[in-house]
Amino acid sequence: MNTLGDLERAVLEHLWAAGGPVPATQLRDAFADRGLALTTVHTVLTRLEQKGFVEHDESRPRQFRARGTREEHVAELMHEVLGQAGDRQAALARFVGSVGEDEVRMLRALLAASGDDPAPR
Amino acid sequence: MLPATALALGVLAAALAWPVPAALARARWPRRDPLAALVCWQAIGLAGGLSIIGALLVHGLAPWGHSLPEAWWHWVTRQPPDDPVRGDHWVAQTLAAVLALELLGVLVLSGVRTARTRRRHRALLELVVRPGAPSSDTETLLLDHPAPVAFCIPGVRPLLVLSSGMVEELDGAQVDAVVAHERAHLAEHHHLLLLPFIAWRAALPVLPAADRAHDAVRDLVEMRADDVALTSLDGADPRRTLAAAIVAVAGGAGGQLPDGALAVTGGAVAVRVRRLLAPAEPLPAAGRWSALLCALALLLVPTALLVVPALA
Repeated sequence: MNTLGDLERAVLEHLWAAGGPVPATQLRDAFADRGLALTTVHTVLTRLEQKGFVEHDESRPRQFRARGTREEHVAELMHEVLGQAGDRQAALARFVGSVGEDEVRMLRALLAASGDDPAPR
Repeated sequence: MLPATALALGVLAAALAWPVPAALARARWPRRDPLAALVCWQAIGLAGGLSIIGALLVHGLAPWGHSLPEAWWHWVTRQPPDDPVRGDHWVAQTLAAVLALELLGVLVLSGVRTARTRRRHRALLELVVRPGAPSSDTETLLLDHPAPVAFCIPGVRPLLVLSSGMVEELDGAQVDAVVAHERAHLAEHHHLLLLPFIAWRAALPVLPAADRAHDAVRDLVEMRADDVALTSLDGADPRRTLAAAIVAVAGGAGGQLPDGALAVTGGAVAVRVRRLLAPAEPLPAAGRWSALLCALALLLVPTALLVVPALA
């Protein structure tokens, strides 16, 4: 499967694993089994750059590196999901919003009190 | 005509700006029938905007004719007014235009902004998360994070996201309940019901009712999703399973605010848990129909006042 999305993910994972700047030719060689042309690699890199996941330096040939680790991107997303980001217009509706500790205790008591069948499966 | 019509619309607008939403937010029946209540909130929002803009327009265009359609036509075709035009007519016209543009503009802006944020989140998720097992209609992604979190990103290709913490802390039946809840949001397009209220809360920060309406709609949408989820869950006691899932997620890492911090949900989670554990009687058919008829009347009254030429 060589859809653009798959390639983007594969290239990004390679850059994450590499840990440092990598020229496009090396990426092409790394994905030799997929038979990628160098132009395709550049297309994928450009798309990743537009999305803000990859940056390149000014050396010749250009070297590409990942901006931020996978964990950093996940943390940033979770920051928004948990509503700690400044934008309260959250585009995300969570299953359960933030709750105070007092309320959590009260909720647990509520659940326990109603439990005639206390055996948790 | 027009003074009476403008006055009637103004009174309606005032009622919809404060007492009516306050009463509906305080009422206890909506949690017994979230769907009917959601319809009522949409009608309040629409009728409120229609009546306030209509009242200003009717007053502003009064010198041009004896009913709004007639006056509007005369005004558009630049016919001379029948009566002298005073300053307050110009003010009312301007206010009507500003308010209409603000309400519509903010709605569009809010929609565009939300769509952009969703696109960014989707791009991020598709890159960061290895695709899971492709499920039937909705793609489900497993996000590697200890906090128990579930959410959905609506769109043409909706995305359902569960955190690894969610899957670890909840048992299988509870995870199913969470997934059913999120699927209900997606299936009923709850984000569209909430969008105007998010937009108008931003547009009218001085109006406490806008805040109240937003919170009420947000909570009702969650209750509705709970109700829909229950219909698709099997197992001994789906109500208790879903309630337990809510409590587990609320108490999980990342869900809690420190002691003393104002809970954002303001007790809405407790309401959800209570109505799952000790369900009230569903609203009788008569109650539901009167709520829906009220919503319909709310829309018809300002429309009639605007279109039907004054009776007096």
